[in-house]
Amino acid sequence: MQDSNDGSLTRRRMMKGIGGLAVLSMSNATVAEARAATNNPLYSDPHTADTYRAIVDAIIPRTPALGDELGSEHVPGGLDVELEKFLIWDFNHFQEIRTELVTEKTDPSGLAMPVDLLETTLDTAGAGSPLDALLDLADLDLLDLLGLDLNADALEDHLTFGAAQRVDVSLVDAEADGAAEFEVTVETETEEYQRVLQNYPYAPAFTLVFDVVAAEFLAQGKNQEPAGPNEKFPAGGTFATLAPEDRLRCLWTIVDDGVVDRLDDLLSPLVPDVGILKYVVMAVNGLHGFGYYTEWSGLGETKTNTPTEREMQKPPGEVQSRTQSGYPGPAPGHAANWRHAVEGGFDDPDVDDLDLPEDLTGDDVIEGIGGER
Amino acid sequence: MRDPDVVVVGAGADGPAAAWKLAEDHGLDVLVLEGGPWHGNEQWPEPHADAGGTISTDPDDLDGKLLDEQFTHREADANDPTYGYLRVGPADHSRAPWFRNLHQNAFIWQVGAVGGTSLHYFANHPRGYPTAFNDQPHWPIDYEDLVPYYQLNEELTSTQQAPMTGKEEVFIEGATNAGYPLIETSNVTETGWRPQANAVEVPGRQTSTGDPLDADYDGSFSYDDGFRGDTLVGDHFQGSSTPVDAPVREKARKSSNVGYVPRALDTNEDPSKGNVALRPNAYVTDVETVEGSGRLEATGVTFRDSWSGRTQTVEADVVVLAGGCIETPRLWLNAGLPDDGWVGKGLTTHWFDWIVGVYDDETITEINPEGEHMDPYVGQNSAVRFDKPGVGGMEDIGMSPGLVSYADYLFSQAGYSFDTPVDPDEPWDTRGYVVGEELKRRMSDYRQTKALLVLTDDLPRQDNGVSLDTTFADEHGAVPKVRWEPHPDDDAKRDELSRIAARIHRAAGAEHVHRCDWPPLLLHMQSSMRMGEVLDASAEAKNVDRLFVADHSALANGVGGPNPTNSGQALALRTADRIADRYF
Repeated sequence: MQDSNDGSLTRRRMMKGIGGLAVLSMSNATVAEARAATNNPLYSDPHTADTYRAIVDAIIPRTPALGDELGSEHVPGGLDVELEKFLIWDFNHFQEIRTELVTEKTDPSGLAMPVDLLETTLDTAGAGSPLDALLDLADLDLLDLLGLDLNADALEDHLTFGAAQRVDVSLVDAEADGAAEFEVTVETETEEYQRVLQNYPYAPAFTLVFDVVAAEFLAQGKNQEPAGPNEKFPAGGTFATLAPEDRLRCLWTIVDDGVVDRLDDLLSPLVPDVGILKYVVMAVNGLHGFGYYTEWSGLGETKTNTPTEREMQKPPGEVQSRTQSGYPGPAPGHAANWRHAVEGGFDDPDVDDLDLPEDLTGDDVIEGIGGER
Repeated sequence: MRDPDVVVVGAGADGPAAAWKLAEDHGLDVLVLEGGPWHGNEQWPEPHADAGGTISTDPDDLDGKLLDEQFTHREADANDPTYGYLRVGPADHSRAPWFRNLHQNAFIWQVGAVGGTSLHYFANHPRGYPTAFNDQPHWPIDYEDLVPYYQLNEELTSTQQAPMTGKEEVFIEGATNAGYPLIETSNVTETGWRPQANAVEVPGRQTSTGDPLDADYDGSFSYDDGFRGDTLVGDHFQGSSTPVDAPVREKARKSSNVGYVPRALDTNEDPSKGNVALRPNAYVTDVETVEGSGRLEATGVTFRDSWSGRTQTVEADVVVLAGGCIETPRLWLNAGLPDDGWVGKGLTTHWFDWIVGVYDDETITEINPEGEHMDPYVGQNSAVRFDKPGVGGMEDIGMSPGLVSYADYLFSQAGYSFDTPVDPDEPWDTRGYVVGEELKRRMSDYRQTKALLVLTDDLPRQDNGVSLDTTFADEHGAVPKVRWEPHPDDDAKRDELSRIAARIHRAAGAEHVHRCDWPPLLLHMQSSMRMGEVLDASAEAKNVDRLFVADHSALANGVGGPNPTNSGQALALRTADRIADRYF
């Protein structure tokens, strides 16, 4: 990811200035600090951040009880090393879009991607409810939901995008060539957050999907614990209101419950391809392994820089998760006892002397399996 | 190289083997084009930040110390699929990886670079099972045809039996207690366990002090201090450039950038042999053809420089596709070459599963009186295996903790373990994702934990494979859409092997056994352009003359379950001979 750094006063640069003011009004920071914050590659809106924080906290929470049992190093969790930033960075750097390939679908080769595949505006402020906003975006009405076998009233009751009142994703310059830049705007009641990102901004897009899926999860009564506002993740939407294990059960309905098929018409405008959501659930879980249990947190302030500009701030064996696993970190070699199990090594004949048995089906192979010709 | 005899598309595990043989034994000039970066080459001192040079033909360009700088051996640095130095994407790391559309709970794990996916492999080099060649209808050649090429490949890659360290001793205890015999041949026809045949030099072939490499060794592991051979580090998935300071060709593990690329460049120094030039950052986007006498004939390729964006066409007498099981069919389809229904199809992947055993300290100490833990990061990543021809096999695995947390507990198709009941008749205690306090508890036992990787003999099926995506395109054309779903027969084999794995853990004394029930992990990919369907018995395209495939996609199936690298490379060596026989 590269925030644009050219010196001219482009539309993009002005937008960044507005984003800086938003941070300024929120935090009473100086203008300089606000500019620094908007240029921070992890500057993300509170709805996005709190949604990923809610996931991180469900998978790798703080565990005070383990402190008594195994030692104090086992207490801190993923939020203590800002693991949500790892998830957000990886999803926002997941797919490059080439601007020259974004046009209407008139290319006979079928290669060109239509602009509306990649641009979206969800505006709850002007609509009666978050569901109304979503229906407007999807060009559906309540009767359509009935036809899709969805309970509109229940969805209406449960769906909220938290602090996000308006989310807009648009191409910065559809006429340019090369890697596309996207402008992401998220408005809350009092603030406006804007960023320009190279690559498709999947991180905020997925959080909207998770809220819709969570509303359906609650509408179907699949939660095992009550849902409600969560003071740890105040800017999150429906998803962050779920109890920790219910958040994961909710994500699993994407893989195992056909929920993305039922909600396809509602979700389609939020992401370019609803089909990748099952892969995304794999990644949401798996990225905790690539982030938390590796040396990533030891990169300190450089941990979300461009990969070539990341530097270890502490020995890789001493990061939080490594003290929890006892792994000392990479080494040039290990002094360890070893032996060969077969004295003298394998003793195989030359090919002319190979004497393979006539029956090569193994000792008790399952019968009748031939694949396909 | 202006006028190559042969252009090879892809410098992964297999392309460099074919290039070496074409130049070494047949005197042909070969241009190898690789879409990804080249690590450990002076022409590209900062391969992820700067365009560097254009092409390399000089073995003196290879620099092992530069490789040591670039391969940090750290996990996120290496293995993160989005930003790691071992990913599938342009060399420029300010750009995103190359997108593949996957509509599944599944993960594709490949590396796009000189060396390809062999950059992060465990160097396991077993041969395919003879039964996979001789007793199934998919292979157009006999096992015996490939044996000489296996033997050559094993010699060139220092393949030998792997060393047994703490974790392997625990496996052997379990396999022996469960009643399985030791197999003492490379040509496996019966069930049992054996040391892995690994493409890694013997541990401590020479040490810096002259003392043997054992627990008392306190010398250096640097090549400059005299150390030679394997250093017993289990970080092969991070690239493993040990011994540190060693020249590229002297690194212990013979990934193809170590085992084959230096040899291929060496041919340039011998006037009696052909020449090999290797150009990284060159992504092939089209295969050029002419209509011959009623048949298509390949005449060259067009590629795109991933730094400059410029395209260029190269003519050659023969084109060899070696981009791997996804990129080779993608290129074929984007080039508009003929498809009779099997291009990209029949993908096999060894329908893996992963069975985790956690052991208590007393059990470990009883088996290894000198060791308190198994320490899964010590020794080669996988040094002992189990074979059951006709069903598949399994491997004993130790890795560093980030990879372990992902593979052991955060990759499943069974849902979360807190909601996943376990049949009391099954030999595992838990199943599915492990999260929360339980995840941290399990990871606190990391040094007493190891896993068994199940490798199923899944068979080629037309529903599984690679097609062109209709939604997304990138600078190389329509992106690949990948799909792999297990057949019930493959599920049955996997279940059988998973139960055997759990029982081996039990028989070794594991206190807790966990079945991950992995979703598809597309790592050992084979057979998406297979001989017998898309290709003939010489791996030449049935419908396009002078166009060959020399990567794992040419394999006719998954070779029964053993890791495919030895088979893919052996077949590529054979294909090089067939190319010379036919056209030169």
